[in-house]
Amino acid sequence: MNGVHDMGGMHGFGKVAPEADEPVFHAPWEGRVLAMNRAMGSLGLWNIDIGRFSRETLPPDVYLGSSYYRKWTLGLENLVVRYGLVGEDELAAGRALHPAAPVKRRLTAADAPKLLSRGSFERPAAAPARFTVGDRVRMKNMHPVGHTRLPRYIRGHVGVIECVRGCHVFPDAVVAGRGEEPHWLYTVVFDGRELWGEGSDPTLKVSVEAWEPYLDPA
Amino acid sequence: MVVCTLCSCYPWEVLGLPPVWYKSSPYRSRAVIDPRGVLADFGVTLPEETEIRVWDSTAETRFIVVPMRPAGTQDWSEERLATLVTRNAMIGTGLALTPGEIAVTAAT
Repeated sequence: MNGVHDMGGMHGFGKVAPEADEPVFHAPWEGRVLAMNRAMGSLGLWNIDIGRFSRETLPPDVYLGSSYYRKWTLGLENLVVRYGLVGEDELAAGRALHPAAPVKRRLTAADAPKLLSRGSFERPAAAPARFTVGDRVRMKNMHPVGHTRLPRYIRGHVGVIECVRGCHVFPDAVVAGRGEEPHWLYTVVFDGRELWGEGSDPTLKVSVEAWEPYLDPA
Repeated sequence: MVVCTLCSCYPWEVLGLPPVWYKSSPYRSRAVIDPRGVLADFGVTLPEETEIRVWDSTAETRFIVVPMRPAGTQDWSEERLATLVTRNAMIGTGLALTPGEIAVTAAT
């Protein structure tokens, strides 16, 4: 979706403000929200892409006005309601009002370390890769209303395949409910001038990771 | 320079949780269009002819920058070189420390 989360190239957000001696968490609740997200994710009801889409579909003013961990809180609230784990009335009340929904898996302390290691998103390929290193490709000009990892700032632009990463879970399909639908994933590199026009930094190159359905030969 | 314009993808397993600035709208919006401006916010200026490469982490692939070896460290061991490497140098918003800077840090 063409949401405010898709920020590449936007103006007006001001300077980057690094914080000296920054703590890992700025308040204890931030750590709890991170842990809650990991614990709820371990139920296996949704994956990383569905979690992302839940945050992307927050109202634009809420998304832009919320800290990272507040977005994680609101995104998780959306998910637990959508998956029938928590009622809207319970969220409003701030406590359980109904018997807990049954879940297939439950996180235990012994399993917690496993949550901190990252799974692989690579899958066996059903077909050979369509493109190879050095091929010129044009990013599709498409504007799906669902989840996509094709940022707006590269749509319609021509780049070069720099690396073939293997066949990976396709986020657009997962969120659309089609399952993992693995596709070949490529690093595509663009000249800055191709993206940002004359007068932009001539030394700039920008790359993205792009799944095959995002690409046409150029 | 490594960024995630769509969310805040970051190599947690290697670098830990990301700093707030990495997840902020200013960084996510500007890194791909004005990386030199972003570097200036970190007090870093590169020669005009130095090529800038930005990696937008749009998939589950994660990236870190291998910092350039500072001058005067040719005979340093790997362990000693590692003391010059900062988190920001591995994100690409800073250079590795110089032997002079590490000496100052050690003295304070």
